Amino acid sequence: MMLEEFLHNGVVRRVGQALFTLLGVAVVVFVMLRAIPGDQITSNLGTEAAALTPDQRAALEAYYGIDQPLFSQFFSWLGNVLTGNLGFSSRAQTSVAELTLQALPVTFELAVLSIAFALVMGILLGMLSASRPNSARDAAGQVVGLAGLSIPAFLLATTLMSVLASEFGFNPNGEPYARLLQDPLLNLKQMFLPALVLGFGVAAPIMRTTRTAVLEVKSGDFVRTARAKGVPPRRLQIRHVLRNALVPIVTMTGLQFGYLLGGAVVIEQVFSIPGIGRQVLLGIQQNEYALVQSTVLVIALAFVLVNLLTDLLYRIIDPRVRAA
Amino acid sequence: MPASPRRTPLSWIVLGTVTVASLTLAACSDANTSDSGGGAESDADAADLAPGGDLVIGVTSDPDTLYPWRATQFQAVNVLGNIYGTLTELDENLEVTPGLAESWDVSDDGLTVTFHLREGVTFADGSTFGSEDVVHSLETILDEETAAVARSSLARVETVTAVDETTVEVALSSPDASLFANLATVNMAMLSSDDTEDDLNTTPNGTGPFAFDERVPNQSISLARNDAYWGDPALLDTVEFRVIPDESSIVSSLQAGNVQMAVFDDPLVADTAAGADVTVTETPQLSYHVLQLNARRGPLSDVNVRLAIQCGIDRQQLLDTAALGEGEITGPITSPAYRSDPNARPCPERDVERAQEYLAQADVETPVVIETIVSQGEYATSVNEAQNLKAQLEEVGIVLELDQLESGAFVDRWIAADFDAAVALNGGRPEPDGMYGRYFTSDGNLNEVAGYSSPELDELFAQGLQATDEDERKGIYDDVARHLEDNAAWVWLFTGYTYTATHNTLHGFVPMANGSLQYLRTAGFTG
Amino acid sequence: MTLATDQNAEITARTVRPRALIRTLTSNRSTFVGLVITVTLAIVTVLALFGALPHDPLAQDPPERLRAPSGDFWFGTDQFGRDVFSRVAAGVGNSVLIAVVAVAFATLVGTAAGLVAGFYRGFSDTAIGGVTNILFAFPPLLLALALASVFDRNWFTIAVAIAVVYTPIFVRVTRGPVLSLREVEYVRAAVSTGQSRLMVMLKHVLPNITSIIIVQVTLSLSWAVLTEASLSFLGLGTPPPAPSLGSMIYEARTLVTVAPWTMLAPGIVVVLLVVGLNLLGDGLRDTYDPRNRGNR
Repeated sequence: MMLEEFLHNGVVRRVGQALFTLLGVAVVVFVMLRAIPGDQITSNLGTEAAALTPDQRAALEAYYGIDQPLFSQFFSWLGNVLTGNLGFSSRAQTSVAELTLQALPVTFELAVLSIAFALVMGILLGMLSASRPNSARDAAGQVVGLAGLSIPAFLLATTLMSVLASEFGFNPNGEPYARLLQDPLLNLKQMFLPALVLGFGVAAPIMRTTRTAVLEVKSGDFVRTARAKGVPPRRLQIRHVLRNALVPIVTMTGLQFGYLLGGAVVIEQVFSIPGIGRQVLLGIQQNEYALVQSTVLVIALAFVLVNLLTDLLYRIIDPRVRAA
Repeated sequence: MPASPRRTPLSWIVLGTVTVASLTLAACSDANTSDSGGGAESDADAADLAPGGDLVIGVTSDPDTLYPWRATQFQAVNVLGNIYGTLTELDENLEVTPGLAESWDVSDDGLTVTFHLREGVTFADGSTFGSEDVVHSLETILDEETAAVARSSLARVETVTAVDETTVEVALSSPDASLFANLATVNMAMLSSDDTEDDLNTTPNGTGPFAFDERVPNQSISLARNDAYWGDPALLDTVEFRVIPDESSIVSSLQAGNVQMAVFDDPLVADTAAGADVTVTETPQLSYHVLQLNARRGPLSDVNVRLAIQCGIDRQQLLDTAALGEGEITGPITSPAYRSDPNARPCPERDVERAQEYLAQADVETPVVIETIVSQGEYATSVNEAQNLKAQLEEVGIVLELDQLESGAFVDRWIAADFDAAVALNGGRPEPDGMYGRYFTSDGNLNEVAGYSSPELDELFAQGLQATDEDERKGIYDDVARHLEDNAAWVWLFTGYTYTATHNTLHGFVPMANGSLQYLRTAGFTG
Repeated sequence: MTLATDQNAEITARTVRPRALIRTLTSNRSTFVGLVITVTLAIVTVLALFGALPHDPLAQDPPERLRAPSGDFWFGTDQFGRDVFSRVAAGVGNSVLIAVVAVAFATLVGTAAGLVAGFYRGFSDTAIGGVTNILFAFPPLLLALALASVFDRNWFTIAVAIAVVYTPIFVRVTRGPVLSLREVEYVRAAVSTGQSRLMVMLKHVLPNITSIIIVQVTLSLSWAVLTEASLSFLGLGTPPPAPSLGSMIYEARTLVTVAPWTMLAPGIVVVLLVVGLNLLGDGLRDTYDPRNRGNR
């Protein structure tokens, strides 16, 4: 399918699909939160909530907006979201929109840096491995890739952090989180380890994809044809090989990026990074319904957009791809 | 309060599935681990401490509210306790001392209390503190719409009147000797009558030694010294509570010097924090580990079954196994001034034979099955305690059927008194009526959860409130404790410690048995 | 933990022949290593499930706490004097049990849904595709986390939570090849001879996608082990005192300076387990992926 055609027909269908997906996510998250035992009153007051008089309890339910029937809670939340009001976090005393605007760029930066690390590590290792398949070099590349896949991120994270802090006094994450634009240097120092750890895990699939793609292209007919035509081998490697390997890598990267938006919770927790994953985690623990609902919706939206973008990019790189 | 005041919403994540926490006694005798028994002496003279300095305290979570009348979370109480003032205060031995009220008189019939307020006190925003603020505060706490958690402590208050700018008269329906200790909590903070809840949620405004400076949600909350504080001004320029969600990351930050203080529940975490630059202080706590029995349900309505449980439990073994000896076995009352004798009970030591005799006298079928709720993750030792209790009672012929629940589900069941027994860590209070009156008087607001009351207890609690002589009160509450133990209302197990890790340059801080960080006001750095 | 779904999408659908499979698994060195690790750990799992361990993994023995590895305690003891070796073995058992149940569930439900969606198309495809998209758009770890907090936490609900996260992957992986198989001549022929569509699907389509499923199963198993460990780290894994590799590592973080073996043992074993499953998965993938075969 050609790009223009995709843009014409595909986009309408895609947008429809995306809207349906988001609505589904909204319903699922709403229902799930109500199913978790307890509410915001009990998570704030703990067992002390037992001492509330009925009138006190009613006052608190009204305060937290959980006195309405479930249906009207859902539709008033959804209505608000559609008008751009994501709700209010009584714990942070800020609008959810404001909190999300603070947290989303943090996770976004973390994801971008991790992907950057992963791409550099993955593509280099992959090309290295593929340059001489089944050699010691290949084996070494594969072992590194396998290590990335197999070592749990939190194990690597806590070990690195405690060793660096206790042996070298290096612990930038003990400082208050510095935003990229305020203090770029400290920010990058704080993001370095978490991005490295996350990137290490993501590098493995990229490395494998690169290796396979390079091998595939190398054995492909058109490479032989090009070689027969007298195109110099070096140019071949860079032009054809990388260009063709790029397709699966882009797919892979898009997928991982979307995943990192919500999946960096553990790393955000260990390194005290105030990202979007931690925002949801805290919200779940505190039964802050509006906060969790809206944030999950935002993550889902980001995920859908990234997917759409990947798809588009995919088609630009390789016009041969047919519509799924 | 029933929940541990140390309960942090994050504790179930941070402590998570960690079983227990504990270090060997050998590890405990590290040079850098010291004991502070309840009210400790400060380790350096205030004179050695230089004014100024910025203290960073590592905490696992943000306060969940900045509104003092509804703050029960540990972090919230600690932050707000440094910002707000109360009419009375507790000293390091948990004795009541004057606060915003310089002194008070009680009428002969005990029904009128007159507070004489300190003069020249101002709020952080510069406005003057006076009797109208006291009247406003107490009346608003009493209003159910406010949903103030300490409302029931004012149950006997009938009217609050401002006599003049610095005098407030409180009329009581019956004498209340516990009032003065009950006023010394941040849940009874004196707020300015000009402030609304919405104002205070974003900008706390109190009369405490520190003033609210800045908050970055989920990241930090900073206080600055209040130079207009009525007492000796604090030494530190600023105190920042920095959120570091993972406890082992807090340890890393202590070692790297990013933070200079942290409070841990878990002795193992505390032990890893202790090092060349960091000292860890162990402080016994008022909160107590207990096996709550619901004497109104099933086989436990028979006192002999309850006594069999009491006799079937070796508290020291439980403490050694579940908490590795990090604590003291205890009776009901844990505050130093009224402490119960842990051995004043039918079975001071485990006695399986007697337990079986009690069980034989009971009109129940054996084996007796007790449905027991256990919170998992709420505090580190819960599941291990439950396992050990189950193992011990099995030998008596009592089966604890353990229901391990997430915090939310545990709280729901606890509130609804939907259990035969509950393995719990309950918060203690310095004053015994405040601690148990609400549980064990028949009209107490937690009596349904406590599951036990008796006319004798009602009478004893009433006497305790009327008595003014300290020795007399002590005697009455000894009787209360004895009655609770003789009837095995609950089975009290042990009290634990908290571990305060401080950088070696930080001195003058006194950890307290109620977990309060109020002595940040005397803390400072050397040199 | 990473999610990789599409990397196998292009594997050609093939039928699995047992003898050829065994030959592949034993001929390639790294695949063989993977097989050995996996089988060894599987044996440990079985032994643990039947209680054939040197010590009771739950029995506390305070006087023996934090002992270094010795003849009595091969991997030392933890803070309660529990035998680390027995706990690690039982932990492998728990982790594998959770991973296997989760992946089995995801495989059954996901493959069935993918088959139906790809073969019948129409409404079922739209509906299944819709649900799959929703589950994909939901942050996976958060989905598992929320599910684990809704229900009483035990190994089974954790397995189900992980299964829900992995089911959509199986749907996607299955649906694509089924779509193309549907158009293959002999399948069309079978339909036209009047065989019921269900029979055609089960007899002619399903066998052709088994290779894809087997590869996906091996890879998913290793991710499921890591997911369970991550959940334990967030305090939502297997509830104590039952040992799980994730929660053992989590608990050991505070012990690592005093008793490094409490961290090393479960840490190394979890890495070994995942490495073994990955190597095995790679070997299988190489076998069924014609693009790679020439290179091996």
